[in-house]
Order: sequence, then structure tokens, then C-alpha cells
Amino acid sequence: MTLNNLIGPERLDRILGPLAALDATLTVSLEERSGRVVAAVGAPIGARDHRRRIRRDISVDGELAGRLVVQGGPPTREIGATDGADDPTTLDRTMDALAESLGASLELILAEASARQAAERAVAAAADRADDDGGSRLDAELALARRIQRSFVPLTSPSIPGYEIASHYEAAREVGGDFFDVFRLRGQASRLAIVIADVTGKGIAAALLMAFARPLLHAAIDHAAAPVGALDRTNRILVEERGSALFITALCAIVEIRAGRLHHANAGHEPPLIAPAGDGPIRWLTGSGPLLGAFHDLGLTECVTELGEGDLVVLYTDGVTDARAATGERFGDDRLMAVVEANRARRPADVVVALADAVRDHQFGMPPADDVTILAIRRLARRHRKRGAGSAA
Amino acid sequence: MSLTTTTEEVDGRVPITVLALEGELDASNYERVIDDVRRLYDGGTRNLLIDLGGLTFLASSGLVALHSIVRLLHGEPPPDLESGWDALHSLGLDVSSGATQAEVQLCGAQPGVARVLSRTGLDRLFRIHPDRATAIAAF
Repeated sequence: MTLNNLIGPERLDRILGPLAALDATLTVSLEERSGRVVAAVGAPIGARDHRRRIRRDISVDGELAGRLVVQGGPPTREIGATDGADDPTTLDRTMDALAESLGASLELILAEASARQAAERAVAAAADRADDDGGSRLDAELALARRIQRSFVPLTSPSIPGYEIASHYEAAREVGGDFFDVFRLRGQASRLAIVIADVTGKGIAAALLMAFARPLLHAAIDHAAAPVGALDRTNRILVEERGSALFITALCAIVEIRAGRLHHANAGHEPPLIAPAGDGPIRWLTGSGPLLGAFHDLGLTECVTELGEGDLVVLYTDGVTDARAATGERFGDDRLMAVVEANRARRPADVVVALADAVRDHQFGMPPADDVTILAIRRLARRHRKRGAGSAA
Repeated sequence: MSLTTTTEEVDGRVPITVLALEGELDASNYERVIDDVRRLYDGGTRNLLIDLGGLTFLASSGLVALHSIVRLLHGEPPPDLESGWDALHSLGLDVSSGATQAEVQLCGAQPGVARVLSRTGLDRLFRIHPDRATAIAAF
């Protein structure tokens, strides 16, 4: 089994092609098990200014198929950006993220190609026996895609003193495009970044774009340290250099941990909910602009929300509100609001479980059509702060 | 989930194809709608009115269809949905210059559908009319 005969040089080029504009001093290449380079983009391989090289083995069906190599030198504009262009950490993190997510998405594509080839063989063999084995193969293919996609989503959130964070992620039967990320800003441990996003569309294309967008957003937030700047930067790359046929709705937030101040900007994503401590009315965090990838200028504005002690913020993707019952009825904003209202006093981990259960109950008997992602974050009251920790459902 | 599409040719100042969507436009059928419009374009359609009056639900993947349809009517190569990206830039440039394209226009969006268009900013791409008659007069 080789990379070339699994997916062919043309498709390899299409997979790597969009990375070409990422950074002039970054090289991404794919090598066969034998060490032969079958596809490469970026600066010449082994260029003198490459000072770091990451190798990631690519396995298919448990067998080594090849190796992804990411090499980097001093960063240039978009990723490394103009100011702080010599900051090695930004490039290192970008390279790490690329190696991780591109490697995982390559495995996904290769696994799919391998499963498809196996399915074709099985169908051909089955035709001889007048039997059709296509269905179970397809299921196996989808299960594999889901398992690999799961690797993009953090299983545990970072532990942040004074906050309790919980998440829930459930993949659709067909690979959807949700992702989220919760991390402390590089070099600014006092600030927490939160991203929740959804690639529109489905299947391998959405999984690929997600694999590409997640490290991009992460690096952009680290660099811009402000939600609007991070979304603008990511959008610019998607529109000017990718020309994507798909879009991404993304909400990006930065929390000043001690002050409890939440800064957010929203590019076409579902608005979060905030349930204040006590029984004050639950409200939407408003403020929204166009989604990423469709327009040159987003014209986003930053919204600032003061989180009081005990306030709860709930973020989610459209897999929640669009969940469809057998009757055709959507889960909708009203049910979302009602579930949050009924569980607002509980811990974030319980809130996400309650909401996920309600969505599952609602679409009882129907396969989930889209990924479901839920994040709940509470700023703890002072007396609870000692036990404040991240948790994941 | 089902979506029914019907097409009709009408004569305004220019020949207009009306594509009426009924039902739900989502991940299960957005590619089919793009294919339908590709066939219309190949058959000579250059002005397209999408009547959303019967559309009860628009998922985010439906937005991909609307955006791709605009590109098709611009005579741009059909987007490659399989790879997830391709080298098309001109449409974005048109939009950012503030000029709404006129080849594809919308009418009759129900409140839920209109809300999705406005939340995601896709309403910037289109002239959106209250009803079919107004829309046809606007081409």
C-alpha cells in the first residue's frame, strides 16, 4: 500500500495545495514509506533556513503508509504576521498544529480511500456471489471517519482557577464540521481563549477545512490577542488564499480571567446564552457579522460582557438548535432556553449533559444529522474557587 | 427531510428562471440544488430568481448552495465541493466593493430563513424581495 496508489498524486496536490500560500518558509511534504517524496508545497525541501522539522507517521489500517514532514524557517506574513515576525513560538505552534491536524486529516482521507478500495473489491467479489456487501462497508468507513474526527476536538478543557468549564461533542453519522478550542493565550496566562466553530457542508471536504481552520484560528488568536483581529485574519486567509467553497461560522472569545471580562466577536455563529447568577433573565450575547470565507470584509465589532460571580455562559453549534424530531420539528431556541433555564443552577458538566440529553431525546429514532457541540463556562463564586477546575463530559 | 424544487421560465425585462424551493434545504440536499442550477446554467439560464416562499428551514449548508449558485451564474467554474476549496476569488471581490450581484435574486423568505441569512451575513450577497412579482420587476 502506498500513498500514491491509494489516493493518487492529483488528489495529494489538492490536499496540500491550499497550504502553499501559508508561509513562504514553511515546507509541507509527504513521503512514501520508502522515503520518496510524493508531494510537497512551500519552500524547497531542506532549504537552508529550515531550522525545525516535524515528522509524523501516517498509518492506514494500522500499517505505516508514509510520513508527513513539516519544516519551517522564520515565519512570514499571515501566520507569523507582520509585527512579531521573528517570534519563533508562533511558527512552532503553527507547525505543531499543522502536523497534528493535517496528519490526522490525511489519515482520514487515506482510510477512506482504503475503505473504498476494499469496498469496491468486496462489491466485486459479492457480485460474483450475487450478494452485496456495500452497506456494512460504508458503515465501517463512516465509523472510521468519526473516530478520526474525534481527534480534532479537545477531550479535556484546561483547568482555570475561578472557572468551571465543561464540554460535550458528538459527531454526526456523516462527518460534520464542528470544532472548539479552549486555551490560555500564549504568553498571557491571565487570558483564556475560547473558540467554537462549524464548517458548513459535510463529509471529507468539511473535515479537511476544519483540520485546516482550527490551527489557523488558534494561531490567529495567539497572535492578535483580540477576537475581531483573529477572525479577520482567518477570514482573509480563507478568502484570499483558499477561495473556499465552504464557510465557517465561528465565535471567538477572550476572557480576562481575574476581572471576569468576556470579549467576543461572532462571525455568523449561533449566539451564546448567558444565565446570570440567581434567577435574572437569561439572555443572548448579541453581536454578529458574516461567516468566515464568503466576504473580504467582515466588519465585526467586539462585544464586552462583564461576567459576575456565578454567571454561566453556554455556547453551542447548530447541531443543537437544528436537531430534528421525527415529526420534523426542530429543537429550536425555545427548547434550548428552557433547558438552560431548568439547569442554570447546576454545574457546567451537568448543564451540558442535560442539554445533550434533551437534544438526543428530541431526535429520538432519527440519526443525528449534524455534529452537536456544547460548551458551558461558569465564573465561580469566590467561596467555590478552590475546587474550580475544567471537566469534560 | 425533503426538498422539492420546481422551475419556471418567465419573461421580465430579461428572461428569468424562477427556482422555487419547498421544504427544507440542508446538508442532505444542498449538493443536489447546486447540480440543478448547474443544469439550468448549462441550459442557458442567466437570470435566476430563487423563490424561498415554501422553504421552511435553511441549514448552514444551504448557504453553501446559495453562494455556489451565485458563482455558477457568474459563469465561474463550478465550485469543487469535494476538495473543499478551489481558486475562485472574483466573487468575493465583487461583494466587498459594495455592489450586490444581480444575476441571482431571492424572494419570499419566511422569518426563520431570513434570520439565518442575516445572522450569517449572506443577505449581503443578494437583493431580497418580498414576493415574486416585485422580484421579477426588479430584474
